[in-house]
Amino acid sequence: MRYGMAIDLKRCVGCYGCQLSCKAEKGSPPGVFFARVIKREMGTFPNTQVIFLPLLCFHCAAAPCVEVCPTGASQYREGGVVAIDYDACVGCRACMQACPYGARYFNRDNRAYFADQCLTPYEMVRYSEQHQGVVMKCDFCMDRVNAGKDPACVANCPAKARTFGDLEDPASEVSRLIRERGGAPLEPELGTQPSVYYLPI
Amino acid sequence: MRDQTYDRLLKDLGATFRPQREWVEGRGLYLIVGHFLSSIGAGTWLFSVIFDSHAGLLLAVLAVMLAGVAHLRFLGRPGRFWRMVHAKSSWISRGFWGMILFTAGAALYVLPKSGVAVPWAADGLFANLTLWVSLAGMATIMVYKGNVYAASKGVPFWNSPLLPVLYIVYSLRAGLAMLLVLFSLDQPGEAADQVALIELWIAVSAAVMVVFYLGVMRNMNVTTRRSVAELTSGRAAGAFYLGTVAAGLIAPIAVGVTGLLQPLSMGILGLVGVLSLVGDFFAKYSIAKAGIYVPLLPVNAAVR
Repeated sequence: MRYGMAIDLKRCVGCYGCQLSCKAEKGSPPGVFFARVIKREMGTFPNTQVIFLPLLCFHCAAAPCVEVCPTGASQYREGGVVAIDYDACVGCRACMQACPYGARYFNRDNRAYFADQCLTPYEMVRYSEQHQGVVMKCDFCMDRVNAGKDPACVANCPAKARTFGDLEDPASEVSRLIRERGGAPLEPELGTQPSVYYLPI
Repeated sequence: MRDQTYDRLLKDLGATFRPQREWVEGRGLYLIVGHFLSSIGAGTWLFSVIFDSHAGLLLAVLAVMLAGVAHLRFLGRPGRFWRMVHAKSSWISRGFWGMILFTAGAALYVLPKSGVAVPWAADGLFANLTLWVSLAGMATIMVYKGNVYAASKGVPFWNSPLLPVLYIVYSLRAGLAMLLVLFSLDQPGEAADQVALIELWIAVSAAVMVVFYLGVMRNMNVTTRRSVAELTSGRAAGAFYLGTVAAGLIAPIAVGVTGLLQPLSMGILGLVGVLSLVGDFFAKYSIAKAGIYVPLLPVNAAVR
């Protein structure tokens, strides 16, 4: 089994729903974005187009972050998920330099969102679950997946632009979409073999 | 009051060419200092063994130990440093082993030479064994740093086999430079002239390598070209021109060439050593500062 995702760029409307639902699900502190969206305008007026590119950890089969980790904190788990053992991470940030997709973030301190205030009650609860001085990233919401649910970003996308499933099952919806729509990963020439594919516009 | 670091992070995340900051700004500067000190330590050890400089041996051990402290200061969770012995494919892990081997071997080797009463002789079998252990550690320290950078697929400017070679050359040069400084204080004569000549040769080699490296990077892809631009006219330009080029290459080479035509005073040789060390630091700093991450969208797209 290899978990993967297909993101339909034709359906994505750049609402940031994935980014916000991930924040709500994971309670990640400011400066840590397990999921995010970048926008670019292409072409020149009047022939312009806006591209929305949702980003997350691509859980690569040949993950450079796993290769460079000196403590083994970055590791492969069941289903090909690349996870971080936060108790083993020393915060060297080599994985951040190795990842070509900007999927990792260093949690320097669990700072408050409202800089001139102390932590809110919500932050106090959620940040108690976080680890300071380590690198953090998306884990495909494995807790939710193991409970039979989709990752938060997939479940909450209002345009149904994201599909999650087993890439090694040709009958799965994600495999079908990639096959029929010509899905491709980002920067395949780097040889990282991402598990997230983008369906073209 | 808004958090300027957070605002800058958001701006970086939205940029096409996102600059690398973790390994050069804030506590990242400790990493540069650590690399600089370990570079000095490894190079100084090698040439102190060759030229039989006791002061150099002691300084080398001290430099690598201080490098270890600097590295710990950089880590997010320094108390877990012992976990870095773990991984098989990580150059950081290999470098950690190198520093352990060097520190242990070098300290044991230096003890009898420093007059400390130990059960083994300064020129006996055990001492020779500790020397070989220290040399193995020294070689690992010289090799690992450039490979740590070269393994960074996310930063194309670093992801090149040229960088490990450049770092080895700079480490050799740092060792010679430190010996020049020590000799200028304590040990004039033929050894100093030999060190100065080798230092000139390696400085010229370093200059050629830097030019070659930048030439290759300028033509590799749009991201590396952007990094070269950061180095030559952007964020890292000051450090590059003043530190790496002027102080680190032009001045030492010019003085060294002058030394071929007429004898140089020990003070001048010491100055060459200091300038070379300054250049070594700024070479590491500016290469780290010029790092740009792989752009995730077409670079000709306008940022909205």
